[in-house]
Amino acid sequence: MTLAVGVTKRLGPGFTLDVALSAPPGITMLFGASGSGKTTLLRCIAGLTRPDTGRIAIGDRTLFDAKNEVDVPVQDRHVGYVFQQAALFPHMSLRENIGYGLNRLVADERQTRIAATAESFRISDILDRRPAQVSGGERQRAALARALVTEPSLLLLDEPLSALDHAIQSRIMDDLRRVNEARRIPMIYVTHSHREVYALGIQAVVIDNGGVIARGTPHEVLDRPEQSVLANLAGFENVFDATVVERRERAGTMECRIDGTDTELEVPLNSSAVGASIRVAIRAGDILVGSEEPRGLSARNVLRGRLAALTAHGPTMVAAVDAGARFIVHLTPTGVEALNLQPGDHVWLIVKTYSCRIVADTPWHS
Amino acid sequence: MRWFVLLVAVLAMLAAKSGYGRVAAQARRALTVAAASDLQAALPEVIAKFERESNATVTVSFGSSGNFFAQIQNGAPYDVYLSADIDYPKQLIASGHADASSLYQYARGRLVLWTRKDSGVDISGGLRSLTDVRVMRIAIANPKYAPYGRAAEAALRYEKIYDAVRGKLVLGENIAQTAQLVDSGNASVGIIALSLAVGPALRARGTYSEIPALAHPPIDQAAVIVSASARKPLAREFLAYLKRPDISEHLHRFGFTDGR
Amino acid sequence: MMDWQAIALTARLAAIVSVILLIISLPLAHWLTFSRRRWSFLVESIVSLPLVLPPTVLGFYLLMSMGTRSPLGRWWSEWTGHSLAFTFEGLVIASVLYSLPFAVQPVAAAFAQIDPSLREASATLGASAFRTFARVTLPLSIEGVIAGLVLSFAHTVGEFGVVLMVGGNLPGITRTVSISIYDHVQALEYGQANQTALVLLAFSMLVLMAVYGLRRRPWAAAPIT
Repeated sequence: MTLAVGVTKRLGPGFTLDVALSAPPGITMLFGASGSGKTTLLRCIAGLTRPDTGRIAIGDRTLFDAKNEVDVPVQDRHVGYVFQQAALFPHMSLRENIGYGLNRLVADERQTRIAATAESFRISDILDRRPAQVSGGERQRAALARALVTEPSLLLLDEPLSALDHAIQSRIMDDLRRVNEARRIPMIYVTHSHREVYALGIQAVVIDNGGVIARGTPHEVLDRPEQSVLANLAGFENVFDATVVERRERAGTMECRIDGTDTELEVPLNSSAVGASIRVAIRAGDILVGSEEPRGLSARNVLRGRLAALTAHGPTMVAAVDAGARFIVHLTPTGVEALNLQPGDHVWLIVKTYSCRIVADTPWHS
Repeated sequence: MRWFVLLVAVLAMLAAKSGYGRVAAQARRALTVAAASDLQAALPEVIAKFERESNATVTVSFGSSGNFFAQIQNGAPYDVYLSADIDYPKQLIASGHADASSLYQYARGRLVLWTRKDSGVDISGGLRSLTDVRVMRIAIANPKYAPYGRAAEAALRYEKIYDAVRGKLVLGENIAQTAQLVDSGNASVGIIALSLAVGPALRARGTYSEIPALAHPPIDQAAVIVSASARKPLAREFLAYLKRPDISEHLHRFGFTDGR
Repeated sequence: MMDWQAIALTARLAAIVSVILLIISLPLAHWLTFSRRRWSFLVESIVSLPLVLPPTVLGFYLLMSMGTRSPLGRWWSEWTGHSLAFTFEGLVIASVLYSLPFAVQPVAAAFAQIDPSLREASATLGASAFRTFARVTLPLSIEGVIAGLVLSFAHTVGEFGVVLMVGGNLPGITRTVSISIYDHVQALEYGQANQTALVLLAFSMLVLMAVYGLRRRPWAAAPIT
């Protein structure tokens, strides 16, 4: 069942949300800065906010249709919602929270379902505690369990992991991915973190100032720096899928080869095994360009390439360099002038090991 | 949450208890009397005797005549109304709320100055003594609606000291409350009913000085039976009883003069 | 002692009024807090009137509207055979109106400080408006509800002006404790007045201690992050 949304809503003087998107089964990342309207869109889909015009439907079930005066009340939409602050009922145990939406089931079946969902979110042994007695990560997992146990036809997540630290985020993202593989419902995940976009989404929709400005895979959407907005949001102009070829425990680094090329990069060590797939992100501003082969540098990553394109983007010069893989590099106009760079020139790229960030342990396949 | 339910249950039980609303009405033969508060000292004995002799239960409410007047007009369920101002019963008769034939002027009230024995105020000079600087507050009943209050103001004007003392006046809601204001020390002197001053409570604690009857219009007091009463036979018995010589004698002892 | 009658009467009046107010105040407070109608402030003002009106003004209007000369009073006596004013039932109605803001305001305040996302979460999980109220809103605001209950009770026990105007001081029917004490004082029976007042004080203390002592705080009204 695909979610089809096309709505408008006036949010303030001169600021209107006007969005049309469709979300197939799987995780659609809704990406944008704070105040861009993404939470409002989510609330419209859930029925918590009423759009001014438009239509919202899941498959052939219409949830909202302004023209035909259809507005299914929240409680009948069968849409799961995970709030940013979990919104667990503080006066109930986690078990009672998760079972809240299952009140129409027989006790036995309810307990069975709660147990199964709790298992998949690794919270089986804390079910009888109250929300105040568990950690932030556990609360958010309980919130996920509570939303999913009712087997909704759609799951909406409003920045569910933003308050958690990275390690916990990763584990919960794994949980989510597993759930996604098992359930195949559209999930709309709102975030302002590009890290999460890369880690989870098959489809990313970028919202800015109430409208969709980009749509596609995370790569397609976040690797387009000529859209200055995106460049700001993304922060990592270079993202590569790579394979680990060597682990150097004592040095604390790994060698990986960018998929589809011969280019190798030295990156910080993590728990990936040789042969594992990883995703490496590098900021365009972290890459140095030299017009001659450099010597005596501490940096391990020195790549030879050709300057393919050079464009001015405000105060920044954006260079696209082919060094096996295509790299985007940010330079100052003075720097460009000093080296007298022209498209077609041979250049050297220098990247510190620590400028290479490993975004996710496994690349996301659709 | 469970305690909350328990609390509500207790309240519900309290609320459901029956009986108190009906006790006074059902016992034997019953009569309800609204009496002006100047009868506070004199009436209880009268009532007690009546109850014994006629085997009835009488409940009395004391208060200001004006207040009872308003309430009876709005349907207050009194059977007999003893007013400190005959004007009120007359108005009730005119508006159909009281039986004309039952009107009986039972007494004429007298005003006195009263002060506590330990107040240090000398009232032997009569109303003039109110102008003394040592007298700081003077209690009178509210002239707007209390008969004794109206008379007190008239007496003060007669003595030509009203303007001099009006800043020192403290108003009581009815004449009994006025007496209480003085008794409790909130006012050093009061102009109250003679019937209260000679009553057992105040007689022991204070001294009084009679105010001449010509200083104020007469305080004619009258009883009347309320038209809406469902106990008229008993009410008429009560009024007949009030007219008996021994009862008049009793009232005289409390300073009520004949109502002529 | 005659005054046990007044005490029992007062206790019964306060109990009935509290229960009635509990039933009325919950939906009223809910509507006032969560309604999006722009004129809800009008209703709020009307509900709060007894807070600012002197009891005698309120008593006066109530007497006028419940007495035998009023449409309501006449309708009532046709229906039931007695008047409305000067009866226990009249006192109940007068007390309910007089104590209404004391019941509604604490409840409304408690409702307002519940995190809205909790109620929204309940709705997304399929709960009807009533279920959200019973399982989320009410449990999280129970302290406000109890405060409203206690205040209604205490306020009714302490009433004087309204009761005197509307009730008429009829022993066993409308003579509440506060009026009984006043009567004793007027009759200069200070001993009796003192006794009755002490019993009232002790009774009120017991009620308050029972309610506040049994209160527990196992949860806060906002989600923990």
